Amino acid sequence: MSELTSREIVVNGFWHNNGIFVQLLGMCPTLAVTTSAENGVGMGLATMFVLMGSNMVVSMIRSIIPSDVRIPAYIIVIAAFVTIIDLSMNAYVHDLHKVLGIFIPLIVVNCIILGRAESFASKNSVFKAALDGIFTGLGFTFALFVLGSVRELLGAGTWFEMPVLGSSFHPSLVFVLPPGAFIALGFILVGVRWFNQRGDSAS
Amino acid sequence: MPDFLKMGIVLMLVGMVATAVLAMTESATRAPIAEAKRQETLRILKSVLPEGFDNEPDVDTVTFADKRLNRREKPVTFYRGRKGATNLGVAFVVTAPDGYSGDIELMMSVNPDGSINLVQVVSHAETPGLGDKIVKTDWPLAFKGKTQENVKWGVKKDGGDFDQFAGATITPRAVVAAVKRGLDFFVEKKEAIFQPATGEKKP
Repeated sequence: MSELTSREIVVNGFWHNNGIFVQLLGMCPTLAVTTSAENGVGMGLATMFVLMGSNMVVSMIRSIIPSDVRIPAYIIVIAAFVTIIDLSMNAYVHDLHKVLGIFIPLIVVNCIILGRAESFASKNSVFKAALDGIFTGLGFTFALFVLGSVRELLGAGTWFEMPVLGSSFHPSLVFVLPPGAFIALGFILVGVRWFNQRGDSAS
Repeated sequence: MPDFLKMGIVLMLVGMVATAVLAMTESATRAPIAEAKRQETLRILKSVLPEGFDNEPDVDTVTFADKRLNRREKPVTFYRGRKGATNLGVAFVVTAPDGYSGDIELMMSVNPDGSINLVQVVSHAETPGLGDKIVKTDWPLAFKGKTQENVKWGVKKDGGDFDQFAGATITPRAVVAAVKRGLDFFVEKKEAIFQPATGEKKP
């Protein structure tokens, strides 16, 4: 990977290499948590903090870690950050923690995080690694937010728990259930690809 | 230095630093987490117990273990609301093991005369849109004022007095049965349940 400018890092992380829409990484939290917009945003932000922290630490220690044991070392760093987030959320945003519950520890095995540590943070400066972590995390949050919004609107007729579609709208339960996650994500992916390719042919 | 030694030492150092950071985080968040849990319990107790208690129900407790409260006979904490020396009611959690999906935990409060004050669902994993109407509607209010005698215990489909939901009979049936068992236990052990705490027993 050649040297990327900060601007490229931002755009890549958020859109062109979006963890969900483009790379299709981290499907477990994506599909399981996004039953509502609020859950999606909460999970996304928690992941973003982990991603930023682990990217920075991995970048800091990249010169002293022998390459043979880099993966276990990264996993320890990531697991430590996830536990810190888990404890802090439990202490300070207890209600959200109750909702996201078992999915927080699962951030450890979210492949986006290990992927960024391995492919970006271990080769770049601390500043760039942090930037990459923040914007990859924001891209992830944005994707979960879109998916959560679609599923909540179609499945429950609400948005952030406010009723927005009138009583004449009959929510279709399937969108809140697991199959709805796959269906909604599939259609969103179609939309994203269409949007990106339209831009390509125009330029 | 041989390679394997260097790898081991580096991994050990990473592990030690991570452990140290986690230990600090844990000790910093222990008190806030306990406080958040306590606030949550208090909030539920306030909404469930009859109004006007002036003791601290989350401290004035007694524990019992019985098959009727939950199948595994785990100890259940009984939170007692009193005003001065008058018993206002007691709140405790009963578990319905036979819901549609997993255990349903219910916080129920009973008045000293053996009538139910309120029932509130603490946790469940019932189907969104069907079984979860026990949380999203005011269905649990149907329990208010009910005693062992003044109502036929059971859902309408089984010849009882409680409504089921269209498409979801199993959940209400399980809840009604669990509340009935809890009420039976209360009536049988009423004296012991309201017994003033002799010495502080920590739950």
